[in-house]
Amino acid sequence: MSLVATQSAQNVATLVRNRRTRVIAVLMAIVALFTIFALGSTCRSSAHSVLTFTPINLVNAPWHLGSLTVLTRWTVIVLGLIELALAVEVWVREPRRAVMARFGIVAILFLLAVLFWAARSPGPSPIDFVNLTSILVGASATTMVLVYGSLSGVMCERSGVVNIAIEGQFIAGAFLGSIIASTTDNFYYAAIAGAVIGGVIGLLLAFFSLRYRSDQIIVGIVLVTALSSLSSYLNLQVFTPFPNFNTGNLAPNLPIPLLYKIPVLGPVFFNQSGFFYVMMILVGVVSFALFKTRYGLHVRAVGEHPRAAATVGIDVIRVRYINVVLGGAIAGLGGVAFMATQGQFQVGYTSGYGYIALAALIFGRWRPSGAVVASIIFGLSVYLSYNLVTYNVPISIYFLEMFPYLITIAVVAGLIGRVRPPAADGRPYERD
Amino acid sequence: MTASPIIVAALALVLGLVVGAFIIATTTPTVLDAWRGMFHGWGGFPHALNVTFDNVGAAYRAIFTGSVVDPQGFWRSLTTGKGWPNTLTPISETLTYATPLVIVSIGVGIAFQTGLFNIGANGQAVIGGILGAVIGSMISLPTVLHVPLTLLGGVAGGMICGLVPGLLKAYTGAHEVIVTLMFNYVTYAFLLYAVLSTPYQQPGQENDIGRTLDPTAILAPLFGTKSGLRVSYGIFVAALVVVFAWWLLDRSSLGFDFRVTGANPSAARASGISAKRVIVVVFLISGGLAGLAGIVQVATTTHYIDGGFLIGSAGIGFTAITVALLGRNRPLGIVWASLLFAALDVGGRNMQASTGIPLDLATVIQCAIVLFVATPVMVKEIFRLKSTQTTGLHLSTTGWGT
Repeated sequence: MSLVATQSAQNVATLVRNRRTRVIAVLMAIVALFTIFALGSTCRSSAHSVLTFTPINLVNAPWHLGSLTVLTRWTVIVLGLIELALAVEVWVREPRRAVMARFGIVAILFLLAVLFWAARSPGPSPIDFVNLTSILVGASATTMVLVYGSLSGVMCERSGVVNIAIEGQFIAGAFLGSIIASTTDNFYYAAIAGAVIGGVIGLLLAFFSLRYRSDQIIVGIVLVTALSSLSSYLNLQVFTPFPNFNTGNLAPNLPIPLLYKIPVLGPVFFNQSGFFYVMMILVGVVSFALFKTRYGLHVRAVGEHPRAAATVGIDVIRVRYINVVLGGAIAGLGGVAFMATQGQFQVGYTSGYGYIALAALIFGRWRPSGAVVASIIFGLSVYLSYNLVTYNVPISIYFLEMFPYLITIAVVAGLIGRVRPPAADGRPYERD
Repeated sequence: MTASPIIVAALALVLGLVVGAFIIATTTPTVLDAWRGMFHGWGGFPHALNVTFDNVGAAYRAIFTGSVVDPQGFWRSLTTGKGWPNTLTPISETLTYATPLVIVSIGVGIAFQTGLFNIGANGQAVIGGILGAVIGSMISLPTVLHVPLTLLGGVAGGMICGLVPGLLKAYTGAHEVIVTLMFNYVTYAFLLYAVLSTPYQQPGQENDIGRTLDPTAILAPLFGTKSGLRVSYGIFVAALVVVFAWWLLDRSSLGFDFRVTGANPSAARASGISAKRVIVVVFLISGGLAGLAGIVQVATTTHYIDGGFLIGSAGIGFTAITVALLGRNRPLGIVWASLLFAALDVGGRNMQASTGIPLDLATVIQCAIVLFVATPVMVKEIFRLKSTQTTGLHLSTTGWGT
């Protein structure tokens, strides 16, 4: 009897998932058809776009690579056909994994097609080229911040604590990082300070949610509200009278010899600030620690079934404290990294990246590697949407600004039911 | 003392003010200078203590006189019979600020009671404010029709904006926290678009400012425009919402479904309550109330919307989360909590004007209060209260997945 019930429940779940996969495929197909017909037919057949590879910043430039002139209409149509192929594949094969990754790729291809279409010449745009390298370099800054945020989320949620305060840790890290970097002129100190303040906020979150078993989301949201108003308060109290505490903090690029000369890849991966390299190392370290070490096994056990973990002698509360503090430190470091790409602290300029990082974490199935892929997709969509503004496209800048958030909503809505969070995620643990 | 919820709330207020005092003391330059001078002579320490108390005292006195009443002015008005409008302005401002706050917080509280987090109340209020203001400024009608229609426009705007997360939660399971948070950013972008594009932008304006409401669409001040007191008929709208919420939660079968779903989702499912319907209806009501709050805010204060509408420390949708938690999601509790938080905000403005300490301190104090209220066990430990029952806020939230 119960077996039959389980089976029918599974069937229903499969049906629902299939139906949703179909909906996603239809959405992708609509985007593809829009690309092919709306964009492809509205430009002259002789119009062409130029794809360039040399970065605009000529310091430590890679080896020169010529530019590529393409016919706009056919480029757009080919991009649209790739989108259509992905849509058809999802409809026909109904892949069990990575459906939303395909959706993200379609979104990025669509934005690229719009970019090519906008940069056509003769056309209305003042800029008549698409610079692949600057797109990737520009997107890497946002991606880096999102990776820091979602790594922090991985650390906390794998141990069963929802860290929605990532946004607050970004803000705190950026604020303190700016002060320290301005006064000491040393990004090591700034990074350490950011990690410490992020860890302290993680400790606060852990203290309230582990010791007093308060609701983790409420504590997180209240912490973010408190920190964002505290940063605004301190901005007026400290940075307004002493603007010297908040200037000139662009982290210098540290080119890696020889490798930075590689066209396109060089500027993106090997001519970045130290924060970028640290991020790449952290991804490996967190991955290794969570999935290849004894400690990682403990963490995952605590996140899945704390009671069982406790029976084999793991101190559940201690593991959670450690992970939430470490996760907070990573997010705080991410805040410093974000500040170092902007050059200074501004009130409210993290604009919800901490929350998008949470979505990236879900997208990446609570794995560091998945979170990286998700962050790249989100980072590209954020950067491309903002970048389109300079091309004089006939869409309001404010609608372009909405785009990344709408993609996030679509992705989160499409993912649920396909991904499984750690079983004890967000549940307070009660010792007997 | 035993730990009743009211005592815990009062002690949380005290602790919140202590936190605020600590922040003032550690960030105000004059106070820091005084402490630095501590080692220069024997008088240094008492002097530093004096300066600290002076600064903190001045700030909190400014909050009180700016939001409740200035005792000196009150005495003068009482003895001479003059200057009443001036004396009553602080309390009138507090009531004006509390009016939309009550409405939006009740919306958030209803969602909380159902176990749903509506963190997008601010965005819903923005859309409600825009739609209401469009109706209130671009249609001409007699007052009897115009005011209700404007308010209904606000409700409709909020409902539209609440419906999307509700449907997504009900039919795909997308966690409402992420969806509503993202929606806040979408609505900010839409707000800027709306106040900068032709039909709605104030004619002849280049700046991000919308049309002004017609005089027939505003919620008029209770004592007439001449008195200068802004407290308006909006408080009756808020009172209606309180009664509605009480009826909905305590007297209607729908509200019973809500509370059962919030208290025990599996029991709700077993007794045949449709979770999907509850989720969608709750988000409609919650969003609708947030939208109503948005338009009430416009119709009682500025009468127009600009690009900074409900942004930053003016974001009543975010304050509403803390208000609802402090008020334990009950309509009457929310009224008291709103009055307290409105007083802190209005008084904070006075504090900024007279002592230069930024208004954001009020928000920090509010957050500290809520953290303490959300962890009553800690308050009991600090004050060594006898614990009668553990009355923590119980909300049924879990992770992001299912």
